[in-house]
Amino acid sequence: MIKITDLEKFYRTEEVETIALNKLSIEVKKGEFVAIMGPSGCGKSTLLNILGMLDDPDSGSYVFNGVEVAHFTERKRADLRKHNIGFVFQSFNLIDELTVFENVELPLIYTGVPSAERVKRVEEVLDKMQIMHRRNHYPQQLSGGQQQRVAISRAVVNKPKLILADEPTGNLDSSNGNEVMELLTDLNEQGTTIIMVTHSEHDARYSHRIIRLLDGQTVVENIMI
Amino acid sequence: MIRNYIKTAYRSLLKNKGFTILNVLGLSLGLASCLLIILYVVDELSYDRYNTNADRIYRVNEDLKLGENNVLYAVCMPPLAQALKNDFPYVENAVRIKNAGSMHVKKGATNILETKIALADPSLFNVFTLPMINGSPATALAEPNCVVITESISKKYFNRTNVVGETLKLNDSWYKIAGVIRDIPAQSHFNFDFFISMSSYPDSRSTEWLRSDYNTYVLFKDAIDHKKLETALPAFLNKYSGEQMQSELKMSMAAFEKGGSFFRLNLTPLTDIHLKSNRTGELGPNGTVQYVYMFSAIALFILLIACVNFMNLSTARSANRAREVGVRKVLGSSKKYLIAQFLTESILVTLVATIIAFITAIALLPAFNQLSGKEIAINSQTLTWLIPVLLAIVLIVGAMAGSYPAFYLSAFQPIDVLKGKLSAGFKGSGLRGFLVIMQFSISIFLIIGTLVIYNQLNYIQTKNLGYNRNQVLIVQNTFELNNQAKVFKQEIKQLPGVINATLTGFLPTSNWKNTSIFFKDAAFDQKKALFPQTWEVDEDYIKTLDMKMASGRSFSSQMLTDSSGIIINESAAKFLGLKDPLNKPLYRSKGGKQDISNSKEYHVIGVVKDFNFSSLRDVISPVVLVLAHNTGALSIRVNTKNLPALLSQMKEKWKALSPNVQMNFSFMDQDFDASYRTEQRVGKIFIVFTSLAIIIACLGLFGLAAYAAEQRTKEIGIRKILGASVAVIAGLLSFDFIKLVFIAMLISLPAGWFLMNKWLQDFAYRVNIQWWVLALAGFTAILIALITISFQSIKAALSNPVNSLRSE
Repeated sequence: MIKITDLEKFYRTEEVETIALNKLSIEVKKGEFVAIMGPSGCGKSTLLNILGMLDDPDSGSYVFNGVEVAHFTERKRADLRKHNIGFVFQSFNLIDELTVFENVELPLIYTGVPSAERVKRVEEVLDKMQIMHRRNHYPQQLSGGQQQRVAISRAVVNKPKLILADEPTGNLDSSNGNEVMELLTDLNEQGTTIIMVTHSEHDARYSHRIIRLLDGQTVVENIMI
Repeated sequence: MIRNYIKTAYRSLLKNKGFTILNVLGLSLGLASCLLIILYVVDELSYDRYNTNADRIYRVNEDLKLGENNVLYAVCMPPLAQALKNDFPYVENAVRIKNAGSMHVKKGATNILETKIALADPSLFNVFTLPMINGSPATALAEPNCVVITESISKKYFNRTNVVGETLKLNDSWYKIAGVIRDIPAQSHFNFDFFISMSSYPDSRSTEWLRSDYNTYVLFKDAIDHKKLETALPAFLNKYSGEQMQSELKMSMAAFEKGGSFFRLNLTPLTDIHLKSNRTGELGPNGTVQYVYMFSAIALFILLIACVNFMNLSTARSANRAREVGVRKVLGSSKKYLIAQFLTESILVTLVATIIAFITAIALLPAFNQLSGKEIAINSQTLTWLIPVLLAIVLIVGAMAGSYPAFYLSAFQPIDVLKGKLSAGFKGSGLRGFLVIMQFSISIFLIIGTLVIYNQLNYIQTKNLGYNRNQVLIVQNTFELNNQAKVFKQEIKQLPGVINATLTGFLPTSNWKNTSIFFKDAAFDQKKALFPQTWEVDEDYIKTLDMKMASGRSFSSQMLTDSSGIIINESAAKFLGLKDPLNKPLYRSKGGKQDISNSKEYHVIGVVKDFNFSSLRDVISPVVLVLAHNTGALSIRVNTKNLPALLSQMKEKWKALSPNVQMNFSFMDQDFDASYRTEQRVGKIFIVFTSLAIIIACLGLFGLAAYAAEQRTKEIGIRKILGASVAVIAGLLSFDFIKLVFIAMLISLPAGWFLMNKWLQDFAYRVNIQWWVLALAGFTAILIALITISFQSIKAALSNPVNSLRSE
């Protein structure tokens, strides 16, 4: 599903050039659950942003579903993104002015799903995530675990092929964190590919494979049994 | 989608109540001011447009140059209107109107002095749109001794409007009411309550082509015809006036013009009269197009300041909205959607602000009317243009104010935002600094404008005018006493508390004007003719009005030869080039052939120091005073603490002489003030709107300062931990803004000085713009800005550094 080859990304300030990704090559198959680990500054988040088409690489190739997307325009990337990729962030990134229902509904609005269909799909997802009773609440009125469940609902409501999760349990206590990991595992079992950046060995154990990065390069890959 | 925009916008506005209130308040204040000014400007521009034929009506004017004297008249010769109709087939109609001044209108026991009376030709109703509700427009003014009155006058005297056939006594003659018309709209350059048929006035049949005293209007068949008439006018005038000039002055028009003089006719479109015409003999006080421009500019300035506020506050707030933008982008929103979202938000705010502004404007309209001396009303007719204008304002201002935040916010890279790279939204924007500079430049300019206008008005109030207008009471209608006027004067002079009194209508504050032609030698050289104000006064004039003699003496009842004596003012002496004018002869032309047999010889007995008698906008022109019996008014210099008692004594004396007519009086200082009412109003309007502009600018600055402090919370915390004092931090935060105000000063002080000097050029007598005016304007701006900012700066500086660091 994803194949990146010799991917490079630099960050430049006036005097210093930092290499974030150094000729990195990775392949992720459809239905896989991959965890990316490594110390701070190893390039995890940069990789995730490029995979999520939020950022573009300086060189190298990125083939998504058989299409080379490394140098797509912003508009094309946005279009591909909204139909195929769901995001889960450490800090949830819910919009404070919208209710739970409206937050989850947002991706459907941007993909032009008609109103009646939207209501049906949002309710379905909220039900599945057991957060239906909170549909009219605002994010500030929810606990961290509940907020992350809303964020996951929002990530999956458009039935994406790929979910990118950036330290999804980073802001949660362990019981809420476990719940979130269970949810992700369920989604993966239903066929969604998941790539997750994490610092937590515990969370990484939920995945099929761990890619460890150091200084923008793959140092080791562990296959989980 | 749009529902989602509105919903988000609504909730976001509600969440940031402080910001929303500042924004809506600033914008609605700006829009309300703008609306009031728009109403004022539209009112000024709508003069005479109530006439359905407005575009085809022109007034004929006369420009006269005689020697060095140049006079522009709004009036023309008595036979002109008829001759135009006879000679030019494209002139559909023509009408003469003559101001008849004030008259006592009597009906039974009622006796009221009415001031809005005119004489008019029967064609009045063919040319102007003055709907008649009772009577026949075709015949109403055809017969002598007929009068057409307005609806309110009809109700005032008869309590009804079907009064055709009734009679009213105007002064001493009876007039039959031949028609009742609707009241003339306030937006008319003439506003009369009575139109007397022109044929009642024998002079109207005069065939003289060498004098001008009838306001004459022509209605063309086609608007374009005025060009044809303009080309034909010189030949036309030569045909009629030239003939009389030849027979009376023994001089052809060509010879007259050869001497450097001229005598020309021209046309003014009806709709230009109110704002662009200021000639001798206007039918009423006109407006000034300059003020229309000035107010339009102020309205635009205020709107600009309010929009800039909106833009500044929205972008300053952008850091708080950045995360939302990032999330929306990650979820697939394109730039287009985001721009639409932010525009929706700003249009929504503008809509709310406009509704508040509209309500505020309606509520403030009575106060504004009082301030501006207008009678503006919002009726269904106003709404037909006002609603589209308001909608346009909502869209334009909304789009203008929202476009910068919309494009600025939507251009955020989602990745940067979500990574928190975009928290420091404040210091980055140079545009925001530019906008603050613009706001303050405008505000400082308006402060300078206000100060200069006030200085000039104050100068007018306190300038030594060459006479003393205080403690002078004027009995306005002594002409009613006829031969008894002199007796009245003598009796008044006997009263205790009366210092002196002078009997004449020619006063520096009155509208009585009379000019005649003088020559300084028997050669009657036209090029050296003097064309002065020629005022008939009595021997008490100079003393009563407290004028000063530069040389010679005033008139004296003891000197029998004073009937041929003349007093000239300094300007006249200068004009005549006389170093020692005393006892020099002056020949006053009696009309007709200009030679010694047709003139009266005077000799100069005194030179009076120049005194102002028209607007201070004009240079003092030559005046000559001659001794004559003129009963126009009695000016009385009084010195009493008990004015009411003196007044009642005067009224008793009056009643003994004229039991049926009331004595009308006024005070000279008040008459003087009345002639500067426009300037005073303009000054007041200016100060009100300047204050508003500054308040709005401060609202914006207040909001910006709050955001700046918020953005720099962490910096403030660290500085405090490292030992910075509150004063240092408050200074640090304030300096960023004060710097901008300083730059604004550099721009607006020279610009303000230049533009206000230009305005002052209109006054022949004016103040200089002193350095302290500029200094005061700059200082005021800095002070206001400092007060506004320091509130936020000090608040931020006082906060606990531990809290501010924790929040990061």
